[in-house]
Amino acid sequence: MNKLDFLDALRVKLSDLPESDREERLAFYGEMIDDQIEDGLTEEDAVAAIGTVDDVAAQIHAETPLLAIVKEKITPKRSLRTWEIVLLVLGAPLWIPLLISTLAVVLSVYIVMWAVVLSLYAADLALAISALGCAAITVVWLLTGNPLGAGCALGATLVCAGLTILLFWGCAFATKGVVALTRLLRARRRKR
Amino acid sequence: MDGQLKRGLLDVCVLAAIKDEASYGYQIIKDLKPYVALSESTLYTILKRLEAEKSLTVKAAEHGGRLRKYYAITDRGKQRIEEFRNDWEALLSIYQFITKEAKPSE
Repeated sequence: MNKLDFLDALRVKLSDLPESDREERLAFYGEMIDDQIEDGLTEEDAVAAIGTVDDVAAQIHAETPLLAIVKEKITPKRSLRTWEIVLLVLGAPLWIPLLISTLAVVLSVYIVMWAVVLSLYAADLALAISALGCAAITVVWLLTGNPLGAGCALGATLVCAGLTILLFWGCAFATKGVVALTRLLRARRRKR
Repeated sequence: MDGQLKRGLLDVCVLAAIKDEASYGYQIIKDLKPYVALSESTLYTILKRLEAEKSLTVKAAEHGGRLRKYYAITDRGKQRIEEFRNDWEALLSIYQFITKEAKPSE
């Protein structure tokens, strides 16, 4: 067996090693064979002195940490990665706008939810101000001798105040709901 | 021989082979042959380990129209040989203790 045949056969046997590691080892053996030839051995003898391909491969495997082999196994082969990169680059005009619009939709839905909550609070505030206004009118009409009007205004005051309290519960409930939803989404993203 | 002990011993052997001047793989194996039979793959593993711990440096140089890797010892490598000498004295006294204990059973 000549040097090239030996190295080719060894390359096949070591295909489960990381590429850089494998080529470095092959260069090391190549140098060994060259040096032995320079020392006076024939190429055949120099190759034979290294040992059989199977023995050498078995010895290398015994000395290589399992981690290096496992890493090589779980890393996708280079050709596959290249294809993935090509697809990603070629598909960029398609998937980048899609990604942006998806994110925009998610973001706007989220903003709308908070807007609903905010408008609920605004409505509640308006009701509270109306209650105060009606109360003021009640007092004014009582003092100016308009008991009928004052009675109506008092009723309006009570209605506004009651609605304010009821709506405030609604506001609190909606706020809690949106906060809980935010937490849920965040937890799910972390899980992924 | 105990694997851990042998590994440390072989490391120091290889360092000793390049102690005086930078050497290359085949020369190291030849120099060590009278003392230890070192296979190429074992030497490769040792050289890699010593390079990783910076006990030696590797340099490729042209030789006869091809590249050959030369290994040169560093200060840290010299320090390892020195450490081995100190360890050896401790090891010798352990050896004496072990052989003394073993005698009565003979």
